[in-house]
Amino acid sequence: MSDPDEAADATSETVDSTDPTDPDGGTGTTAPDGGTDTTGTETSAADAATGGQSGSRDRSADVREPATVRSEADPTDTEPADEAEDGSGDAASDLTVRSVTARQTNRWVGVAGLSFLTGGLGVATSTRPLLLAAVVGVTYLAYANVSSAPAPSLSVFREVSDSMPEPGEEVTVTVTVRNTGDRSIPDLRLVEQVPDALSVVEGPARTATALRPGAAVAFSYSVTARRGEFDLDGLTVIVRNASGSEEREYDVATQPTTLTCVPPVDATEEVPLHALTSPYTGRVATDTTGAGVEFASVREYQHGDPLSRLDWNRYARDGSLATMEFREERMATVVLVLDLRPAAYVQSGEDGRNAVERSIDATHRLFNSLLDTGDRVGIAALSEADIWLPPGAGPTHRAEARHLLATHPALSPTPPAERVYVRPALRMLVGRLPDDAQVVFCSPMVDTAAAYVARRLHVRGHPVTVVSPDPTRRDTVGRTLASIERSNRLSDLRASGLRVIDWTDDESLYEALERARRRWSA
Amino acid sequence: MTGYELVRRPSRGSVVIAGAAGSFAVAASVPGGPTPTLLALVGVVALLAGVWTARHRIVDGGALVTFGGVVAAALSSAGAMSVVFGAVATVVAWDSGTNAVTLSDQVGRGADTGRVETLHALFSAAVGVVGGGLAFVLFRVGPTRQPVTTLFVLLLAAAVLVVALNR
Repeated sequence: MSDPDEAADATSETVDSTDPTDPDGGTGTTAPDGGTDTTGTETSAADAATGGQSGSRDRSADVREPATVRSEADPTDTEPADEAEDGSGDAASDLTVRSVTARQTNRWVGVAGLSFLTGGLGVATSTRPLLLAAVVGVTYLAYANVSSAPAPSLSVFREVSDSMPEPGEEVTVTVTVRNTGDRSIPDLRLVEQVPDALSVVEGPARTATALRPGAAVAFSYSVTARRGEFDLDGLTVIVRNASGSEEREYDVATQPTTLTCVPPVDATEEVPLHALTSPYTGRVATDTTGAGVEFASVREYQHGDPLSRLDWNRYARDGSLATMEFREERMATVVLVLDLRPAAYVQSGEDGRNAVERSIDATHRLFNSLLDTGDRVGIAALSEADIWLPPGAGPTHRAEARHLLATHPALSPTPPAERVYVRPALRMLVGRLPDDAQVVFCSPMVDTAAAYVARRLHVRGHPVTVVSPDPTRRDTVGRTLASIERSNRLSDLRASGLRVIDWTDDESLYEALERARRRWSA
Repeated sequence: MTGYELVRRPSRGSVVIAGAAGSFAVAASVPGGPTPTLLALVGVVALLAGVWTARHRIVDGGALVTFGGVVAAALSSAGAMSVVFGAVATVVAWDSGTNAVTLSDQVGRGADTGRVETLHALFSAAVGVVGGGLAFVLFRVGPTRQPVTTLFVLLLAAAVLVVALNR
């Protein structure tokens, strides 16, 4: 009884109607399901659930517990022929119908008109064959009118080849849809709702088929993984009757299959920082003197100075005691601020990463390298969503930041819907910054608001280093103008005492940092 | 990162299905003489071009011209058999053509749609066969003594009944 299912999944193809002896999913056992598929919006969701039960009932006829949709276990059992080796990202269907639109396609209206015209012509010219052709036309009219689009009852099963891919890796998603109802669906069209940020690289994420009761169709497509957390949970189901005169479109939400893509830990070389520091020992050389490595000055010995810092040469020369002072090296507190305003989602050219993507990448690297050099690092953003990771240190902090940068929904590569009000966001940010924090502001600096933010933070006593991914190009007059405007903006910021790292599209962050460091040390 | 591009045009298979049906329509208009045949041929070519470029208007227009060829064949005293056959073939060609265009708009060229399209065309052809059979039954055993107008009115009544039943 159960082998037609296995056969279907082994080939991951449609179970087609070439097997007339197939008992097909228990047409005899699905009696309670028959009445539910009338017309309907919400009923079809319930329909999907009850359909699932009836599918299970033909396997173990005496188990009548209506608790869960058991038939979704079938694809997992019988999937080995598929290329997906670990069923880690599987999701059984628990369908909810978000919206239904039923419409008449009015395809056959023309045929109706034409058949009457033909009939009329046949009468006028007394041509019997034309009258007969009109009879054919009326038959088609009847064909179009007698049936309606069936209310489907389906189960959806989605499987990904790797639910935790590295960025850039190709992930194959296989969607299996089974007709769990007791009516055939003559024309079923399925369109997978792939999240915007993921680009499909292979195969259309769509298919069309006809399904007998109990039969299943599978289609697969590949996406390139990008940093972030993505829920694959949407499917558009379009059902037509055989004549195509009526169409129903369902927007179906299934149980989400989550794709989590966290970039690997990756640190750049040392990040040059301003001399605003915390009182703790670290690596930023300050103008404060005391214990350290770099010689600063010599002063008169005071009682209690450590012996190791006595200037013994001087004592040997004239017998007077003096103490050497060194530049103290201290720990800095750095808050990395991301510019997530919709205006910042700009990119140079058609493909490539937008400035926010690059900013997030830079934040990721800077965070890790600052943490490696012993500074306390936090993350904040100018955005509608609340993103705030207070400065800290240690492996837990690093993991938290990694997770935040990878999966926070506001850090997705697509621009947010609402605008960001800069002043309230800035006020909130300033309120949160520790007094001794300095700021690394990652922004493409394509408008004055970004420059305003950087300047405000700077005058509030949080020295600002701007890391600015350059999204501009100089191939048209307008673009050249925008590019010049941006570089003027950066020059103004430099003139106000901010440090600016202009990071062009074709160089690595490390190169940009090195270039900037040479400029500052000169 | 170029990605997969969805081509919203029917595949070659769709054109083959519509073309097969269309060729029957051309064949059916041959008994009417060269003009109806040529008309049907031009219509079918237009229809196929419409399917390939995914344009509904051109498919409709092509089907209309093809049907014009069949009607012309009927008027130049072609047999009832070939006229009915030509009408069915025209409708099947048009139906599978427009279905392919809609389908390609919704799922694109890359998807495997052969099965559902063939099924659609078969359904359509089956209905045509039933309709044609009905027509012939009427032709042979029907009330041939009645004036032709009566037949037409009966036809109209049947059509109205079908539509009304479904409302």
